[in-house]
Amino acid sequence: MVKYAPKFIRNRERGGPSDFLKALEISGLTKVYSGFRAVDSISFEVEEGEVFGLLGPNGAGKTTTIKTVVTISRPTSGRVVVFGIDAVERPDAVREMVGYVPQAVSVDGDLTGYENLLIFSKLSYVSKRGRDERIAFALRYMGLEERAGELVKHYSGGMMRRLEIAQALVNRPRLLILDEPSIGLDPASKRQMWSYLKRMNREMGTTVLLTTHDMAEADELCDRIAIMNEGRIAVTGSPSGLKAAIGGDVVSLTLDGDGMQLTGIPEEIGSVVGRDGPVVKIATRDASRAIPKLIQYLHEHGVAVSSVSFDRPSLDDVFLRYAKKTFEEGEGYREARMARRVFARRSR
Amino acid sequence: MRHGVRPLRFVMSSLTVAEMEARKIRHDSSELWTRAVQPALWLLVFGEVFNQIRGLAPGGMPYIEFIAPGVLAQSVLFISIFYGITIVWERDVGLLTKLLSTPSPRSSIVVGKALAAGVRGIFQAVMIFALALVINVNLRLDPLDIALVFVVIVLFAMCFSSLSMTLASVLKTRERMMGIGQAITMPLFFASNAIYPIQLMPQWLRYIAVLNPLSYVVDAMRSMLLTGDYSGLPLDMLAIALATLLFITTASVMLKRLIE
Repeated sequence: MVKYAPKFIRNRERGGPSDFLKALEISGLTKVYSGFRAVDSISFEVEEGEVFGLLGPNGAGKTTTIKTVVTISRPTSGRVVVFGIDAVERPDAVREMVGYVPQAVSVDGDLTGYENLLIFSKLSYVSKRGRDERIAFALRYMGLEERAGELVKHYSGGMMRRLEIAQALVNRPRLLILDEPSIGLDPASKRQMWSYLKRMNREMGTTVLLTTHDMAEADELCDRIAIMNEGRIAVTGSPSGLKAAIGGDVVSLTLDGDGMQLTGIPEEIGSVVGRDGPVVKIATRDASRAIPKLIQYLHEHGVAVSSVSFDRPSLDDVFLRYAKKTFEEGEGYREARMARRVFARRSR
Repeated sequence: MRHGVRPLRFVMSSLTVAEMEARKIRHDSSELWTRAVQPALWLLVFGEVFNQIRGLAPGGMPYIEFIAPGVLAQSVLFISIFYGITIVWERDVGLLTKLLSTPSPRSSIVVGKALAAGVRGIFQAVMIFALALVINVNLRLDPLDIALVFVVIVLFAMCFSSLSMTLASVLKTRERMMGIGQAITMPLFFASNAIYPIQLMPQWLRYIAVLNPLSYVVDAMRSMLLTGDYSGLPLDMLAIALATLLFITTASVMLKRLIE
C-alpha cells in the first residue's frame, strides 16, 4: 500500500479546481415512477474524502437516489452534480469519476477474478500502462491473489464483495458508491469489508457514498449520514451528533430495599426520570463518568445499590425516531404498499 | 454535441464486451456443442432425406447443397434470437447495471453484446462447416468467399441479437423471451429461402420472404458458397447492413428500460 498512497495523495494535494468542489451536490432531486414519488425533492451534499451514508427503510428512495448519481436513471427534476459536473448534461463524464457496486452481486461468475478486474478496467478506460500492476495490487490488497485464476461462481459471497471493491481499486473512482454493501454477508466478511472500505477511504482519499439499513455499519463507517424516509430526507448529521441530539445515557439502578427517597441528586450528575419499584432511572450525559459519582453520592446518603446498568442511545434509536415515525402514526399500510410496489417494479 | 462519442473508445469498449464473451466460451463451451445438435439434424436427416427428391433445388443443384447455407444461417439465427435472454439474466444478477454504469457509452455496450453473439455465431458456423465437409457437401472453398461468409454471419448475428435485446427491453422476463423466441424463429425460418427456394412459395409468402432479413443472409451465403454468382450480393449486403443498423439503434435506445 505504502507504495501507492503517496502518489494518490499528491494528486489530491496538487490543488486543482476539485479543492473547491463538493464530491456530490444534490438539490431538489425528484424522481416519479408512474405517479409515485420515489424521491421527493431531496437535497444534500457530500464533501470530498468523506464517507457518507444514506439510511432508511426499504422503499425510502435510497437506491433511486443512487441510480440518478450513477446516471442509469434520469431525475424527473432537480440537479445532481458530481465534482462540479452535471449528471444529466454529461452522464459519460460523471460515470468516469464514479464507481458503482450495486446491491445485487455484480461480478461475472463465468469469468475468473482476474478477468473481472481486467474487463471492467478496460471498460473504465484505465490506461494500459500500469493496468496490470494495479490489478495485481488490488488482488493482493483484497486477499484474492491465490484464487484470481478461478471462476468467480466458485467464490463465497464475501469474496465476491471483495472482488467488487477490488474493481474500485483498479478503476480508482473519485466517488465510490455502494448500495447495501453488507447485505448477505456473514459478520466476519462484513467486518472485513468495512476495514477495506475504511482503508481505501483513508489511504486513497476515495469519497464513499453508501446506502444501508444496518445501523452498526453506518456507525462504524460513516462520517455523516442522512436518514431517508418516504422519499424525503428526515435528518442529516454525524452519527455521534445525531445520537447526542436525541438525548444522553440512561442509568438504571436497583436499590437495596424499597421505598428509599432519592431526592437531591446534584444536577451535574443527572436527574431522575423514572421509578419502578426498586429500579430508578437517571438521565445523564455520560453514564461511564456519572456512575461512580452516583454510587458514591448514594453511599454517602446511606442508600445501598444492588445492581447498575445503563443504556446509550444507538443509531437505531435515531433511525427509529426519524425513519419509522409514520409507521407508528398509523399511515403504515399505505406506505408499506407503496414501498412494495416500488420493490416489485424494480425486480420485474 | 460538445462532448461527442470518441470513436476509439467506442470501438475499444465494444471489443472488450465481445472479449468477455470469448473468454466465457473458453471457460465453458458446452452450450455451443448442444446447440449444434439441431442444425446437425437438419443437415443429416432432413437434408439427406430430401436430397432424394430431384428438382427441389433450382438449377439441378443437389438439395443437400442447397440447404447447407440455410442450416448455417438457421443455427446462427437461433443463437441470436435468444441472446436477449442472456441480457435479461445479466439484468437480474446486477451485471447489466454494472456494465451500464461504466464510462463506456451505452451504444458501445449494445454493439459489444451484438458482437458477442457474433462470436458465438462464428463458433457455430465453424461446426456446421466442418460437418458439411465431413458429409461431403460440395462447397466452394475460396478463402476470400469464406472470409466474407464469416462477415455475413457476424453481421447477421448482430442484427438478430439486437432485435432480441430490443424485445428484452420491452418484455423484461426470461419466460416471455423464451415464448417470443419460440414464436418468431420458426416463422422467420419458414418465411425465408433457407430450406426451399422463394420461387416455390405461394405469392403471399413471397412478400414476407422479401422483407425477411434471413432471406438476404441465405442468398448471400449461397452465392458465395455454392453458385459463385455475385449479382445479388450488393443488395443482400445492403439489406443486412441496414437491418443491423436499425436494430442496434433501437436496442441502444431501449436498453435502459431494462434497468430503470
